[in-house]
Amino acid sequence: MAEGGLTSHRRDPIKSSVGNVAAHRRRQNAVEVGKERRESLVRAKRLCRVSSSCDDSDVCIENDMIIDEEQSILEAQTSSAVEELKSAVSFQGKGAMQKLVGALREMRRLLSKSEFPPVEAAIKAGAIPLLVQCLSFGSPDEQLLEAAWCLTNIAAGKPEETKALLPALPLLIAHLGEKSSSPVAEQCAWALGNVAGEGEELRSVLLCQGALPPLARMMLPNKGSTVRTAAWALSNLIKGPDHKAATELIRVDGVVDAILRHLRKADEELATEVAWVVVYLSALSNVATSMLVKSDAIQLLVQRLASSNSLQLLIPVLRSLGNVIAGDSHTIVAVLLPGCEITDNVIEVLVKCLKSEHRVLKKEAAWVLSNIAAGSVEHKQLIYSSEAAPILLRLLSTAPFDIRKEVAYVLGNLCVAPTEGDGKPNLISEHLVSPCW
Amino acid sequence: MAMEVTQVLLNAQAIDGNVRKHAEESLKQFQEQNLPGFLLSLSGELANDEKPVDSRKLAGLILKNALDAKEQHRKLELVQRWLSLDNNVKGQIKAFLLKTLASPVPDARSTASQVIAKIAGIELPQRQWPELIGSLLSNIHQLPVHVKQATLETLGYLCEEVSPDVVEQDHVNKILTAVVQGMNASEGNNDVRLAATRALYNALGFAQANFSNDMERDYIMRVVCESTLSPEVKIRQASFECLVSISSTYYEKLAPYIQDIFNITAKAVREDEEPVALQAIEFWSSICDEEIDILEEYGGDFTGDSEIPCFYFIKQALPALVPMLLETLLKQEEDQDQDEGAWNIAMAGGTCLGLVARTVGDDIVQLVMPFIEENITKPDWRQREAATYAFGSILEGPSPDKLTPLVNVALNFMLTALTKDPNNHVKDTTAWTLGRIFEFLHGSTVDTPIITQANCQQIVTVLLQSMKDVANVAEKACGALYFLAQGYEEVSPSSPLTPYFQEIVQALLTVTHREDAGESRLRTAAYETLNEVVRCSTDETAPMVLQLVPVIMMELHNTLEGQKLSSDEREKQGELQGLLCGCLQVIIQKLGSSEPTKYVFMQYADQIMGLFLRVFACRSATVHEEAMLAIGALAYATGPDFAKYMPEFYKYLEMGLQNFEEYQVCAVTVGVVGDICRALEDKTLPYCDGIMTQLLKDLSSNQLHRSVKPPIFSSFGDIALAIGENFEKYLMYAMPMLQSAAELSAQTADADDEMTEYTNSLRNGILEAYSGILQGFKNSPKTQLLIPYAPHILQFLDSMYMEKDMDDVVMKTAIGVLGDLADTLGSNAGSLIQQSLSSKDFLNECLSSDDHMIKESAEWAKLAISRAISV
Repeated sequence: MAEGGLTSHRRDPIKSSVGNVAAHRRRQNAVEVGKERRESLVRAKRLCRVSSSCDDSDVCIENDMIIDEEQSILEAQTSSAVEELKSAVSFQGKGAMQKLVGALREMRRLLSKSEFPPVEAAIKAGAIPLLVQCLSFGSPDEQLLEAAWCLTNIAAGKPEETKALLPALPLLIAHLGEKSSSPVAEQCAWALGNVAGEGEELRSVLLCQGALPPLARMMLPNKGSTVRTAAWALSNLIKGPDHKAATELIRVDGVVDAILRHLRKADEELATEVAWVVVYLSALSNVATSMLVKSDAIQLLVQRLASSNSLQLLIPVLRSLGNVIAGDSHTIVAVLLPGCEITDNVIEVLVKCLKSEHRVLKKEAAWVLSNIAAGSVEHKQLIYSSEAAPILLRLLSTAPFDIRKEVAYVLGNLCVAPTEGDGKPNLISEHLVSPCW
Repeated sequence: MAMEVTQVLLNAQAIDGNVRKHAEESLKQFQEQNLPGFLLSLSGELANDEKPVDSRKLAGLILKNALDAKEQHRKLELVQRWLSLDNNVKGQIKAFLLKTLASPVPDARSTASQVIAKIAGIELPQRQWPELIGSLLSNIHQLPVHVKQATLETLGYLCEEVSPDVVEQDHVNKILTAVVQGMNASEGNNDVRLAATRALYNALGFAQANFSNDMERDYIMRVVCESTLSPEVKIRQASFECLVSISSTYYEKLAPYIQDIFNITAKAVREDEEPVALQAIEFWSSICDEEIDILEEYGGDFTGDSEIPCFYFIKQALPALVPMLLETLLKQEEDQDQDEGAWNIAMAGGTCLGLVARTVGDDIVQLVMPFIEENITKPDWRQREAATYAFGSILEGPSPDKLTPLVNVALNFMLTALTKDPNNHVKDTTAWTLGRIFEFLHGSTVDTPIITQANCQQIVTVLLQSMKDVANVAEKACGALYFLAQGYEEVSPSSPLTPYFQEIVQALLTVTHREDAGESRLRTAAYETLNEVVRCSTDETAPMVLQLVPVIMMELHNTLEGQKLSSDEREKQGELQGLLCGCLQVIIQKLGSSEPTKYVFMQYADQIMGLFLRVFACRSATVHEEAMLAIGALAYATGPDFAKYMPEFYKYLEMGLQNFEEYQVCAVTVGVVGDICRALEDKTLPYCDGIMTQLLKDLSSNQLHRSVKPPIFSSFGDIALAIGENFEKYLMYAMPMLQSAAELSAQTADADDEMTEYTNSLRNGILEAYSGILQGFKNSPKTQLLIPYAPHILQFLDSMYMEKDMDDVVMKTAIGVLGDLADTLGSNAGSLIQQSLSSKDFLNECLSSDDHMIKESAEWAKLAISRAISV
């Protein structure tokens, strides 16, 4: 600065030499490679319960051997079970049916037995094509059920193991249809839910193959276990990031009614799964959000929030409510009218959540309130004069940072009034100067 | 106690080397024998208006250097030294300094200002010298003018040296008032106005409270805006610098002023002198920086929250801003492409245009296209270049849907221009634009490819042809080829570049041998492009990559043959060695990644290692870094056999770990320690005493750059994973270090972004150390040695969970450590975990995380814990 303000800002020109970035990237890359290898080494050590570093300890060797043995025995059993299955599939004689179901059941038992199911061994031994064969049309229910169960457990494995299910997907989807018995359809939905949960790539495969409509139709009846499994699978399937699936789902005939009905009547466990579907619908699809807003959904969500104490249920319900309010301006302008009962109820349940012990509930409730607080002056007054205001103020000084941040948004929104056009917002001075603050 | 020093100070600036040396000696002696007397004499000299200006200036400079140093460690020493001086002496020195502010000699005043600020920087945080600011402020209202000017200058330096939290708000208000009054148009003296404007620049960081007050902010903004219209160019420049600083510090307060600021900056960009115009452009670049950051935060989050809302200033200003920036592009300098340090209005304008494109995306395209169409075929090279530059600048930001149709039309034109345009400047920018096209619109993630089988050959041919052009054009052509190759990174088994691979490699090697390859960083570009071509190549061309090994080795060998070189030549030699080591690093990584090629490559390993060891004899930091990186790659490829190189390599490893000054070398070497541990596994043991000693020294040093410390912790983990329970003897040193670093990293209140990022990387390092140590000891009879440390590790996890500020990476590592505790310590940890405050909540939160990696670690941890509890 001494020589004439030469602290001047001087940035790198956009047109620069490739050497500058390239050398830097090369170094970054070396650091990344080191990091990856460190992580994979740690992962290997974690999964491997046998260490070579304890050669001199007898006890240790013994333990290792037992664990080692258990695992290798399980793998050997799995390989032979696959062999058994292979011969059962091609066996044509008397009792073929029993033989096949027996082999499938043994397979399923092995795959369900341990904390480390021998999925890899099963795939290596060639289980998948055999299981696909067992899913062929016209097979007895028991056979379909066992085969789908095996596939469900395989799909719960590591990502590449889940991918091994690709050839089985069309048949699993086919068995979701109305003609299948409900245990079979449920088991298939379960397997597909595992596949959909694995990632975006497999989700889009499932969507292309038409998994969505039959799963959606499984939500329509009132049979609890079927609806629960279907809802769980659907919430995995429509997770996005693409929003098309969510929109497709809401447009399936009867889905909106079914969702509302389950939200109204179902037990908490089922309502939880349905609420997760609503979370993704409202987060991803504007179409879905506006259809939900026009229905009783808000009312039902509010009732659930008011009546339940199950954290599992409250989280998706609260998030759904928040998504619906944030996602469609119609909600605040036309539904949550100040003076209406529903509006008061919403504020009331949000206050309940703000008071709860649970961090996520507090944070999300504040987020929902901040969106309402962004509404009209009347909305602001409503919140301001409710029980929420003192709680918010207390949270602002005592809560952890993430909650404080959301709370600050609410309070900030409460203090400014919207203006027409691009003028700067006006301060609502009456809050600020009101004696009780 | 003071002494006559005038003659010695003058002699110390003599032309005669002997005289000078003698004088420097006596100054040094004086300082060592009697520091208080020495400093007092210097301040007396500076204050004495009868002394020659040269001796006064040097006296001030030596004083300043006695108070501050660049190097952190030295700086702390000097601070302590000053604080422990006798109060009486310090009082006299300060009085001399304050008196100097009234001197008629400008240099003396200015030097005194800086020394006063340095002392303030030391004393104010200690609550000493409380009367300073008051007495400076009382000077402000005094005539004569030069005292006023010196006082403002001192306040400016003071704000630069001192952190805002040690100055009370009342003083801040008074400083700002004085400064802003000094800037006011009613102030008749330009020197005063300039000093005030520069002081404001430094004082802006102090003005948080004042900028939150509408009236005060309005007043400050009005004065700043007015002084951008001053008749004095330096004042205008300083005022725009203030605006730039305000744009980033107080972005959220700018809305009411933005229209006025646009008018002011637009006028300056069009009409004012270059230094002023550059700052006016910089204002908009800085606004873009802010909005890009905010919008990035918006995009990343489910509920879309950012601390500061986006005001979309750029989007609103767009219709006027873009034409203004386009005009600047026509103000090129003739030789800017040859001059690496060049910076002018056209370059700043294009850079800003690029930022605008990143800020607003698609909207910019329709505003720029007419300019391009209008100018791209004009006879004046300036117009063609500006059009091309505009096109290149907006390729990042707008969507591929918007750009691809335009690029499809432009590509052919560009390829023709690159070969046929008569002007080098145009060709340079054209090649750069091609590079940008490949960088942003070519690659596996792009839906509609712009490079097809039909035009691929033409593109390669044109680029290889241009690599024979003048150095600056050839350099840009290499850059384009770099991004062309990068776009094919993910293709396999066959790359569209395979048919040209041999030709490309040959052409790049030819470039590296050009007489003029030292110009325009051409040689660097050629080698880095070769690296990228190799890195992105497929198995089909592996035999050709193998053939490259002896070629590059020979090049490296040639640089090591001992001719006597001038220091200039030696520097170039070092640069070349660095590039060749970099190239070998990439080749080793490539060939080491598949078994068949690795097998063939290994026949060269001994010789290559020999070359690397010889490279260490060279004294350049960059070369050491590159050689280290290459050796890391070689260690991976070699595996346990790398042990045979260790006896010779070890001393260079240790040297690298000791290199505090060039901390990048140290950082890279720490990384190589990890590489070697993973390669040698338990064969690392013989070297661990030395390595651990050095790493522990590094950690306790306050000279070493802090960024190296997190990786050092990670390398503890690497060592423990490699040598298992043999890590036992280091536990008593490593664990307390980890523990105190953990405590430090748990306190995160008031951290800024940079500090939060550092804290998270530190935590990650610590956690990786814990994971490595725990997993290293697993299944050993010595695991009980770790039990005493478990409670603290759990506390650390608890405290991080409570703070709620872990990033995803830390969260993943942290939940893993929870599992490691259970996995290694079994039931011993099980009960502790059950009792801990938040382990269960933490685990549940991780289990329901959206992040796949966190979830995976959490699932494993859950399993490990359930096993530990059930035992």
